[in-house]
Amino acid sequence: MSGGLAFVVVAIILVLSGVNPVIAYEVMLKGAFGSIRGIADTLVKTTSLILVGLAVVVAFKCRVWSIGAEGQLYMGALGGTLIGISIIGSVPVLGVVAMVAAGFVFGGSFGLIPAALKVKLGINETIVTVLLNFVVFLFIAYLLHGPLKDPNTVFNPYSPIIFPQSQLPIVLPHTRLHAGIIIAALATVAVYILLSKTKIGFEIKSVGENIKAARYAGMNVAKSSFITMGISGGLAGITGAVLVSGVQHLLIEGLSPGYGFIAVIIALLSRNNPFGVAIAAFFFAALMSGSEVMYRTLGIPSSFATTLQALVLVFVLIGELFAHLQIRKTEDAV
Amino acid sequence: MTLKQLNRFLAKLGKFQENTKCSISNSDRVKAEMHNYTKDNENEPIVLMKGINCRFGNLIANQNVTFDLKKGEIHALLGENGAGKTTLMSILYGLYQPESGEIYVRGKDVAIKSSLDAINLGISMVHQHFLLTPPHTVIENIIVGLKSTKGIFLDTSNAEKKILELSQKYGLKIDPKATVGNLSVGEQQRVEIIKALYRDIDILILDEPTGMLTPKEVQTLFEVLRSMVNQGISIIFITHKLREVIEVSNRITVLRNGKVIGTLKTSDTSEDELARMMIGRAIVDHQFNQGSTSKITPTILEIKDVSALNNSNILFLKDICLDLRKGEILGIAGVDGNGQSELAEVIAGLRKVKNGQISLDGRSIVSLSPRQIREGGIAYVPEDRLHTGLILEYTIVENMVLDRWYTKPYCNKLFLNESEMRKFAEKVIKDFDIKTTGLNAPVRSMSGGNLQKIILGRELSRNAKVLIAHNPTRGLDIGATEFVHKQLIKQRENGVGVMLLSLDLEEILAISDRIAVIYAGRIMAIVEKETANVDRIGLLMGGKAMSTIDPL
Repeated sequence: MSGGLAFVVVAIILVLSGVNPVIAYEVMLKGAFGSIRGIADTLVKTTSLILVGLAVVVAFKCRVWSIGAEGQLYMGALGGTLIGISIIGSVPVLGVVAMVAAGFVFGGSFGLIPAALKVKLGINETIVTVLLNFVVFLFIAYLLHGPLKDPNTVFNPYSPIIFPQSQLPIVLPHTRLHAGIIIAALATVAVYILLSKTKIGFEIKSVGENIKAARYAGMNVAKSSFITMGISGGLAGITGAVLVSGVQHLLIEGLSPGYGFIAVIIALLSRNNPFGVAIAAFFFAALMSGSEVMYRTLGIPSSFATTLQALVLVFVLIGELFAHLQIRKTEDAV
Repeated sequence: MTLKQLNRFLAKLGKFQENTKCSISNSDRVKAEMHNYTKDNENEPIVLMKGINCRFGNLIANQNVTFDLKKGEIHALLGENGAGKTTLMSILYGLYQPESGEIYVRGKDVAIKSSLDAINLGISMVHQHFLLTPPHTVIENIIVGLKSTKGIFLDTSNAEKKILELSQKYGLKIDPKATVGNLSVGEQQRVEIIKALYRDIDILILDEPTGMLTPKEVQTLFEVLRSMVNQGISIIFITHKLREVIEVSNRITVLRNGKVIGTLKTSDTSEDELARMMIGRAIVDHQFNQGSTSKITPTILEIKDVSALNNSNILFLKDICLDLRKGEILGIAGVDGNGQSELAEVIAGLRKVKNGQISLDGRSIVSLSPRQIREGGIAYVPEDRLHTGLILEYTIVENMVLDRWYTKPYCNKLFLNESEMRKFAEKVIKDFDIKTTGLNAPVRSMSGGNLQKIILGRELSRNAKVLIAHNPTRGLDIGATEFVHKQLIKQRENGVGVMLLSLDLEEILAISDRIAVIYAGRIMAIVEKETANVDRIGLLMGGKAMSTIDPL
């Protein structure tokens, strides 16, 4: 597989920086899978990456090139936090359910903004979603330094801690693995059913595959753009709510280490297949938690992991390009 | 850098490559050979292709094909789409390499590895789709890739002189300084032919040269071909149009499924015989029209003073008035790009009406969505079957329900009902005799005729009141064309109003009851079938107003 070349290239860079790549990779592998805690950490990250990866897949299925998952994730986290610190958050079960629902609503409605601008004014959704991310980051920062700041801390820009009743339970004792993984699994199946079995999914896919044919066949392209971005933003929003409910238990500025951006890579690698997302998410999660350990034990900066992620994408894309050219060549010949 | 500059740069680059590849002495030698050859071997074929085999994957494109071209003849290569005509000629022009077989040019065994080799041997090819750069002048397009006598500067004045000489010699009227983008299709074709002749060739291959021309332009082209032949040029004419073959060629080679069925003298054969050879059976003549127009039926679709913009937001359709009656086929004749697409899209609700009114059965449909218009009873076979009519990545089942997936029984409130979708697809596959590659395979790999049958099957099963069919047989072979025609006629017999927009005038004449001619976004005239005549319609298609044409 062409993605493997990425490991070779990074190995060369490691050698040039005076690190034995065999040891580095071994540490990485051990960090990600070597202990129960390591595996649990990898799975926690997998949970977030699956959810937000699915968000991007839904958008890409409709050829809406949204890069706004990160911003939508934060909006969902905000919605979840507001529920979690409110009176609803103190009710068992309902607290968690309401948090996830609020995440969906906040992220989803935020996703409707680029959809509206695209449909009504023809503004490119990629640019809008990228820029809206910054709007969200600044908005969250403002809230955490101002109205939403925990009154009990003086310095830290944190929100108050959510009620314990709205915190996702730990499923593996003595680790951080929380019940969000179940939500991620359910979401994977749900997105699969949505895209391949439902009426909405058929319309989304048709518009994505061929907008001209969809219009010709009487489909409502504007409506599918709204539905797509609503669902996509909603899934990203759930990711944020689950991060608050399952991991941080409060809203902070660095809640997500760029999950919404890695999700784009995951969606591309999965070829927009929900189950492919789960596999790719696990791979990237392992890469992330492995490189954290690599940093702690060998002092290799985690930017190596970022480089590795980027190179995997580059090589896979090049591989696909060649495969595509090969197909074109044989088709042209006939 | 503007596009124009870039193109100039590329032109110069091409010239540079030409300089490095082909030496002058080489082409002089060939010219000398050409000369000697004409003296010695008057009756030998100038081109002989022997036992050519060529395949693409599992597809056999040419099987043991033998073909010869005599000096100074027009040799037609006749066959349906996919019969292997273009493949054979692409081999001669060096674009493909045969698996086995020999090629002799002027009696010499040659290996043609590239089109440069072919040109050096005096062979050139004019493709179906022109290879010209629209922003450039005629001269620039012609001298692209050639060595200039003035070093790094373009030698336009000498080129112009030579172009005018050629133009005069063969009756190819052209203004060398005109910009190619402003020329008509017929004129662009002349540029392509001059471009070939400019390279001192004496064997010219023309691939489907009449496909996009008006009847008048076809006649002009044929005159040019005759004058070229008289001056010693040998021509290979690829086509699937029987009438043209009979009119212009000296000999005919018929290909079917990659094999040569026979080579005949044109004077010894007939359209019927050629058709049988070409498709392996006789064609049913289009005698469907009797008695259909005798009674005037009520109007089903009324288009009144409709104007609309084109894709560049320029007012393109102007005051279109048409009425389509129940149980008739209304043919819309016209040269490509005169508003046919816009007209069809306006009716289907895919393009906004700027002014005017369209009513279906007395009800205005102007402000309805495409889906509402479909549900109101208009079926539409679009011009671009690959990119509008179908989703190529989808299976045949998904394509069949593209317009009805949201209705019962193909779904319930939330979910699709796949077994009902399959059932429907299987029924249409059977009714329309569609050859599929499997129900679960993307339709991408199916042939054009079968793809068109999917669209027809879907649209006709709507039981619509009006059927808009835009170029429904373009690119289809005779068998599939015949099938489409039969279906359109069956719709007419069922009382459907059929609007047939087609570039193929013969098709329109064959099955329409009335014919409207569209030119520059206007309807020039509507003529009854009885008074229709090719020359008159041809003039209308070229923009001559009705009043200026002498009645018959």
